[in-house]
Amino acid sequence: MTPSILLTDCRDPDLASVAARTPGGRVEVRSSTELAAAIGELHGVMAVVVASTDPEVVRAVAERGRLYHAPVIVACRSELACRLAMEAHADEWYVLPASVDEIERRVRTAILRARAAEVAEANRLERVGFESLLFDATTRMPTLPVMIERTRALFKEHGELVIFYLDFIRFAKIEEIYGWEKLDDVLATTAEAVRQFIARENLGDMRMMLGYTHDDDFIFFYVPERDQRGTTEHEITEVAQRLHRFVGMRLEDEHGDDVAALFDIFVGSAHVYHNPKVRLERLIYRGVREAAHTARSIEQRQRARKVTDLRRLLHDRSLYVEYHPIFSAETGRIFGYEALARGVARTLRSPEVMFEVAADADLVWELSRLCRARAVEGAAEKLGEGQLLFLNADPHDFTDPTFGNFDAIDPHRVVIEITERTAITDYPAFRERLNALRARGFRFAVDDAGSGYAGLGSIANLEPDFIKLDISLIKSIETNFIKQNLVETMVGFAREQGAMVIAEGIESAAELDTVKRLGVPLVQGFFLQPPAGRRGNEQGKNGDRAAARAAARRIRQAGTQVRRRK
Amino acid sequence: MASSFSSATSILVVDDDRDNAVIVRDLLEAHGYTVYVAHDGDEGLSMFDEIRPAIVLLDVMMPGRSGWEVCHAMKQHPSHGRSVRVIMLTALSAWNDKQAAIQTGADDYVTKPVDLKGLLNCVKRNLALVGPPA
Repeated sequence: MTPSILLTDCRDPDLASVAARTPGGRVEVRSSTELAAAIGELHGVMAVVVASTDPEVVRAVAERGRLYHAPVIVACRSELACRLAMEAHADEWYVLPASVDEIERRVRTAILRARAAEVAEANRLERVGFESLLFDATTRMPTLPVMIERTRALFKEHGELVIFYLDFIRFAKIEEIYGWEKLDDVLATTAEAVRQFIARENLGDMRMMLGYTHDDDFIFFYVPERDQRGTTEHEITEVAQRLHRFVGMRLEDEHGDDVAALFDIFVGSAHVYHNPKVRLERLIYRGVREAAHTARSIEQRQRARKVTDLRRLLHDRSLYVEYHPIFSAETGRIFGYEALARGVARTLRSPEVMFEVAADADLVWELSRLCRARAVEGAAEKLGEGQLLFLNADPHDFTDPTFGNFDAIDPHRVVIEITERTAITDYPAFRERLNALRARGFRFAVDDAGSGYAGLGSIANLEPDFIKLDISLIKSIETNFIKQNLVETMVGFAREQGAMVIAEGIESAAELDTVKRLGVPLVQGFFLQPPAGRRGNEQGKNGDRAAARAAARRIRQAGTQVRRRK
Repeated sequence: MASSFSSATSILVVDDDRDNAVIVRDLLEAHGYTVYVAHDGDEGLSMFDEIRPAIVLLDVMMPGRSGWEVCHAMKQHPSHGRSVRVIMLTALSAWNDKQAAIQTGADDYVTKPVDLKGLLNCVKRNLALVGPPA
């Protein structure tokens, strides 16, 4: 639609004549005080003619006109009014009395000028759009196209470019478990740690980038000096190992052991030699793909080694169990413990890694059985009166005929957690097995609830006794009202179903405050108490009791702060 | 340029329904907020860059760029994306829609048809979380 309205605060019939010279043109008159607001309201304003002598009105109209890209022309009754128009940055002005032709000239000029400004603005916005694709806001790193430009001249001059590809193979897992906001935080920490490492190791002119914005693998360019010997595979492996340790420590400090355990890095490299016959960009893209491929091949070799480690683990029963307390949000007392299996070997410490390797080697049942057996063995000593043991299970485990055969514990004290993330394929068979276990006294929790798009219906189908909210719903919940609404809905839904909601992953007082206020009855997280029996946290029963007392205090205080704020 | 418009209480309303936009603008202006109105996603993004509002009230169902797309783009803004609070105006209230809203980085939502008192409370609670102007 072509703008055709000449908006004004003046009933000058000459303005109607000017408007009529534009196809479909017409005049809209508003009072001086309403003129500025009308610019934003009317659709199709081609220009605004303001005749008011009030400086405030002229300024407001000029400012509003700039914002909505409507040219503003001032009809001046004096020289003073002309100066005012100039000061207000009006697009044009004319002195009254003026002929229709003169007014039209002024209006046309202003319109043409505004159109040119609009084109410039569109170009600027396009540039901003491109810039946002070229630089990653989270890690403050440029992307590949930027670095190709920055390295072009040097690469041509030296004739060789080494590309390193850092493949963080389990960062996708972090996102799956904790949500995208967490991975953004982890990537920011990783980028900073890598920068520190490069500075500390004196690695020279290493240029760091991402392939695309928000990607989770890093790329480096290194242009060797002409007389420098090439970097050997062995040297790359050594640097990669040091980098792994350095970044791993930073991640553990910032994000805890569970996130750090999912950090694994594989470095692939490729040498690219300048060839004037081949377009430089394509040379580099091919190099990046080759380096990424090398990183993945190294990972595949490591994976085979990990399968051997896992077989040894299963044979030696070399896994230990940490118990992560779940507290009553009302009393601060320990309601139960979630058992978390950890491999003794560093490479298999993370349960996610253990199960990933087990799935590759078809050893999931064996590993699950060992995890459950170890969890139950330790529970006898761990569980106090009335406390429950929460055990993680995969729907796949339900097809294991030995599932649920525990001699050392009363099934009434066991809650089996089933994750919402894994699809249940044979629902009737699963349901039948679930009911059989329920009849023996086992209780059930839906884990990671709210992580998928399945909604509440699929949760209701499982008739759970507990609903564990997905960690991504808890992260920064105090500032996100949509998350608060979802959690509140879930609490109401659980009440109707006769189930209890558990908020896990609580990492701050603000998160604890909020979930308590929303009526979540059970809480769990590092802010309250880390899993007991961790490395470096082996303080025995006394230490456990002291930590539990501190957690109870925090939970009670959270209640007080909520009341005070009200 | 941005500094002449930006303020701790400035609000950008992006809604293709002009009547609705005017009602919301009048309500918020009557409560002392500085309000700017855009009628589609592109206009909204252009004004967002210029105004740097504390809050954006964003309609979901718009022709051209949807509210989700606009929200995502605003939250990616290099200097202002992290501090702006985006409130979605939506007729959708299902679980999935709220999850989609979280995915795009939205902070709050108001269900359409808009209850003015609810909207005002929503604006207030979000402004309370906006830090003092830089």
